[in-house]
Amino acid sequence: MAKTKEISRRIKSIASTKKITKAMEMVAAAKMRKAIEAVLKTRTYANLSWETVLHLARLSENEAGRSLHPLLSRRPDLKRVAVILITSNRGMCGAYNSAIVNKAEMSVKRHQVATDFILVGKKGTIVHPHGHNVAAEFEKSDILTDVRDIYPIIRSVLNDYQNGKYDRVLVAYTDFVNPVKQVPRVKQLLPIELEKTDEYLGLAGRGSRAAVSQEFLEQKEQQHLTSDGLFFEYKFEPDPRTVLDSMIPRLLEIQLFQAFLEANASEHSARMTAMHQATEAASDMVSELTLFYNKARQAGITAEIAEISAGANALAN
Amino acid sequence: MPDKTIQFEIVTPERTVLKEEVLQITVPTTTGEITILPDHIPLVSVLQPGVIEVKRPGNIQEIMSVSGGFIEVMKDKVVILADTAERADELDEERIKAAHQRAEELKKNAKFVDDVQFADVTAKLEKELARFRAVNRWRKLKNTDHKN
Repeated sequence: MAKTKEISRRIKSIASTKKITKAMEMVAAAKMRKAIEAVLKTRTYANLSWETVLHLARLSENEAGRSLHPLLSRRPDLKRVAVILITSNRGMCGAYNSAIVNKAEMSVKRHQVATDFILVGKKGTIVHPHGHNVAAEFEKSDILTDVRDIYPIIRSVLNDYQNGKYDRVLVAYTDFVNPVKQVPRVKQLLPIELEKTDEYLGLAGRGSRAAVSQEFLEQKEQQHLTSDGLFFEYKFEPDPRTVLDSMIPRLLEIQLFQAFLEANASEHSARMTAMHQATEAASDMVSELTLFYNKARQAGITAEIAEISAGANALAN
Repeated sequence: MPDKTIQFEIVTPERTVLKEEVLQITVPTTTGEITILPDHIPLVSVLQPGVIEVKRPGNIQEIMSVSGGFIEVMKDKVVILADTAERADELDEERIKAAHQRAEELKKNAKFVDDVQFADVTAKLEKELARFRAVNRWRKLKNTDHKN
């Protein structure tokens, strides 16, 4: 009898855990819906604006336009890199945080330059014990709606970049592909340039999402900017400096904002998936334990009957 | 011969407002209002709050209000990255009047707030004004259409 009691206690405890994970799954699902809606809304704008920025960056590499804007030109030597690492505030979301932290650390290792981490989200603090330098920690809200929420981050980063503290700024975030697939990515925010490596290609993917790549831009130029083999140059009104001064920070804001939205959508989907699996695992355990419980109960009854009939037999004899 | 058209796309962080083949586009830039026809020279400029007018084939006109942003013009393609933009036919005149008044009052009463708040209020006011003008323009156009 002792055994069945123990099993039934375990069943109860697992069932109540299951209730909790189920509830968390529902909450994550609701948050995910909101986050996905937000991420899809901004995506067109973010992709188009990134396209424009990269385009300008490419054109500024033409010999004449070299000094078009300080944020567009690449620095000759790389002394210090900043990585904006976007993680979640809470756990219970599977491998979401470890995946993005690993990815960021890997790209840091490959760079072999002094690196400062700028953390957004509580779970990013894991890089402390890994021996990385942390320059700042920002708080992150679970549901991000306003671009203004990220102004402090982008301002401090832009300042440090312009002062020469950093020569390169990367942002590590999780790209939202669909509710069951999220890809950790490291994207270069500053200086704005186009590299062939996949991880710097931005919010790109295939299909519905504008794939911003070198080929894509070349194709775009071919289509819209050349005529009879002659190449058009952009005209800036009133003048390049004024236009780019107001344009580039704004577009960078949007880029970072988009990265945040992607990360949020990914986080909530990762949590939903993790909680869904936990709920399923709990169901499996409950049914398994119920089987054990029934077996134990049956064995107990059988043993009792055997004892009683043995006793009755002994008396009859 | 069919008229030459431009691929026109106007997007805000919230949505794509319009994506069409158009004949000409008039936008308010910080240096004044410009009209873009096909084969315009590639241009990048900053927008200020105001009214965008778009002419589509078949003599259809679209009026939109914009609260600022950027315009990128290529040979046969125009992209507007707007902060906010609405089509005039989506705008409700009465509500805009009320919003405009509210913004005015806010500006009057908000004399002692900090710079950021002041910029916010001013931006709001300009946005409402742009909407207001867009609706007026739209109404005017509709009236002339009826007379014809």
